[in-house]
Amino acid sequence: MRYLLKLLSAVAVVIAAASVTFFAQLAVPGDRATTLMNLQTGQDRKWTAEELAPLNEKYGFDDPIVVQYLDYVTGLFRGDLGTSYTQKRPVLEVIGGQLLPSLTLTVLALVVAWFLALGVTLLTVRRGRFLSGLGATWEAMTASLPHYWVGIVLLVVFAVQLRVFPVIGGTSGWGTVLPVLTLAIPLAGFVGQVTREEFEQVLAQPFVTTARTRGMSDLAVRLRHVLRHAVLPAVTLSGWALGALISGAVITENIFGRPGIGQVLVTAVDTRDMPTASGVVLVVATVYVVANLLVDLAYGAIDPRLRRAT
Amino acid sequence: MMKKLRGKAGIVAALLLLAGCGAGADAAGGGTPQTGGTIVYGHVQEPPCIFGGWIQQAYISRQVLDGLVTLAEDGSIQPWLATSWTVSPDGTKYTFTLKENVKFTDGTPVDAAAVAWNFDYWENKGGNSTAKVSIDPYFKAATAVDATHVEISLTRPFPPFLTLITQGYFGIQSPTAFQSRGEKENCEKPIGSGGFVVEEWKHGEEVILAKNPNYTSWPATAKHQGPAIVDKVRWKFIADGVSRYSSLGTGESHVVYEVPTVNWKDAKTRYQTIRYITPGKPVSFYINTKTGPFTDRAVRQAFAYGADRKSAVEAGFHGVIPYEGNPAVSQSTPGYNAEAAKAYAYDPAKAEALLEQAGWAKGGDGIRTKDGKPLTIKLVYGAAFIFTQEGATVLQVMQEQWKKVGFDVKLIPATRAELWGGKYADPSTFDATPSYWTSPSPSILWIVWRPSTVERPNGSNRSFYNNDTLGQTIDRANGEQDAAQANALYGQAQQIIQDDAAGIGLYTQNSTYAVAQNLKDVWLEKSQGEPVFSDAYFTR
Repeated sequence: MRYLLKLLSAVAVVIAAASVTFFAQLAVPGDRATTLMNLQTGQDRKWTAEELAPLNEKYGFDDPIVVQYLDYVTGLFRGDLGTSYTQKRPVLEVIGGQLLPSLTLTVLALVVAWFLALGVTLLTVRRGRFLSGLGATWEAMTASLPHYWVGIVLLVVFAVQLRVFPVIGGTSGWGTVLPVLTLAIPLAGFVGQVTREEFEQVLAQPFVTTARTRGMSDLAVRLRHVLRHAVLPAVTLSGWALGALISGAVITENIFGRPGIGQVLVTAVDTRDMPTASGVVLVVATVYVVANLLVDLAYGAIDPRLRRAT
Repeated sequence: MMKKLRGKAGIVAALLLLAGCGAGADAAGGGTPQTGGTIVYGHVQEPPCIFGGWIQQAYISRQVLDGLVTLAEDGSIQPWLATSWTVSPDGTKYTFTLKENVKFTDGTPVDAAAVAWNFDYWENKGGNSTAKVSIDPYFKAATAVDATHVEISLTRPFPPFLTLITQGYFGIQSPTAFQSRGEKENCEKPIGSGGFVVEEWKHGEEVILAKNPNYTSWPATAKHQGPAIVDKVRWKFIADGVSRYSSLGTGESHVVYEVPTVNWKDAKTRYQTIRYITPGKPVSFYINTKTGPFTDRAVRQAFAYGADRKSAVEAGFHGVIPYEGNPAVSQSTPGYNAEAAKAYAYDPAKAEALLEQAGWAKGGDGIRTKDGKPLTIKLVYGAAFIFTQEGATVLQVMQEQWKKVGFDVKLIPATRAELWGGKYADPSTFDATPSYWTSPSPSILWIVWRPSTVERPNGSNRSFYNNDTLGQTIDRANGEQDAAQANALYGQAQQIIQDDAAGIGLYTQNSTYAVAQNLKDVWLEKSQGEPVFSDAYFTR
């Protein structure tokens, strides 16, 4: 029952996201038929009503907004996201082709960020002033790095100078390494900062001292007792990060010539391709929802007390 | 603000230089020609469809579709799908003789009926609005006389007609394929008779073009006779300039478009470089003559005098992109009026004098006012698609100079959605807006500058400048059979626009390419600067 409710609310969130996008795009100044005409001609002019009539007719831009909205929402329940105004293909196909590279990029970036963050945390928290300071500085620094800068530096060093990875690797394995690092490094800084704080507090807890008095090694204490507590805030953060990474991926995709829904979204918004933009938002909303469900599950797995409560 | 921008540009420039140093020198010159291979081409923007009325579509449709005629380096019209043509004495009928036995890649013949269908599709069925607007008031009908002769009749004589149909928008498609397939296939894989066919479009990444082994219809300007020498072209979309240029250095690509201007010097020493100055309307300001301070000619002229446009352009683009003082047409356009281009050289004293005379007095903050209203100029520009970061820097430099003579220029960056969606279409929304329109003929003046009337509104006249003398001069030039006489008239038209400061020049629209040393005979077609790959070959 509880899961059914969760599922229902998840569906509601996704529909709400699609609806908000739908109306937000209508609120943007400018006329859709005009945009399409200008897109087809590379101009920025006004067109006469007769010139715009065929497009208005074709896409139903003249229909009342309520009709357009209902058409859109009922389409969603049939699994029909509409047809891209500009690419003339079903939106499902436009997004479908780009979803896997985006998910690969973001999920890998999240995993790598976790490894980097945990590694730094385990090795540097309360390891003396120098190491602790180094770890904290590293986290603060990487967390504030812009993606574009990280991407270009990685590109110049590893692709151009050392020639280890390709500049434009598309979706190939080697080509994915630098894009993943571009997203993972700043995220690792965030995750690390959150974990470090918690880690420090937990290390001072009485049960840690108890564990030590039982003769447990320092590494085992850190791994088995402290980490379990310390990662909870970072797990929460990950639910957010997965969604945020999808939208942040566009810069990385641009630098490394990689396909992905980030680029699709930017182009769609830019050209007022409403069905496509709404479709991408729908997908990103779904990713958020799924990620947060996963976070809930992960909580249970990490903290046995939560399991018993359910 | 300025300083911050410069700082960022500096970092990127330094990284770009570093990117350049790392790459090894390619084997230069000579080498034995090879058959086959795959050209990797780094383009910038991905178009929504392979063909259409936007130049981004013409770039790629040129690889797949052939035209009737083509433009040679010297500006003459040369055969392509049409081997010859005749013009009726009154100048209103063009009869083209088509090359025989040419087939579209779906196997259907490129015959007169097919050509006539294409003209009808562009002009009457909304198939290509740029093709339509190029020859609009003049086109009457296209009819197939017999299988190999097509007649195009015009309403009035229009000698630029032949030049205009050399543009990529006029690529001939198979009517059979077009009518029997859906919108999606026509968008992604148009069927022509060109040197390549679209094999696959990996959206967001690349279009793979495969050689058309049965190619017979190369233009007279081709560098070799026969089908493409390479097997494939991978037309990649690499939006970022650093990685696009770097990919050439690491050997991942062979040709790149839009070489970052900071890298141009480096590119010249390491690769074959091609710079193409696009004919047509340059990147120049439309000046709103209908409402606001620019309704006064003296204020428009003061605006033109008030900034050192030439130096700003040269500094902003590292000397790669030429300044263009002529707002009407660029220096590579036939009939260019070089004298008119010299007007309004930087003269702040003159700008101030003009403004004083016009009644704009300087206030305490240096901004001029008249009747209590400040001299505020809304300058709307397309950020990140018409204007790159470098272009935006040019505007910022000029903004400072305009301020010194008393203009309060507000730079308003507009997204493509805003600009193309019509947010800044109304005269009340802007005072000046820079834009360009490529065309191989000075008849572009007619499209941009002809007066807007109730019966024939002209949305392209973004200066809202309705000058009947100008309209008549361009109209006469368009119908003039004698080329020298026509150019004289076009020259007069440019002078009128410049004298009235209905537009203000800035820089030419350019295309730059860098080509690896081991790839030969990549060339640009003349009308719009599209790369041609069907003659290119690798050497070893």
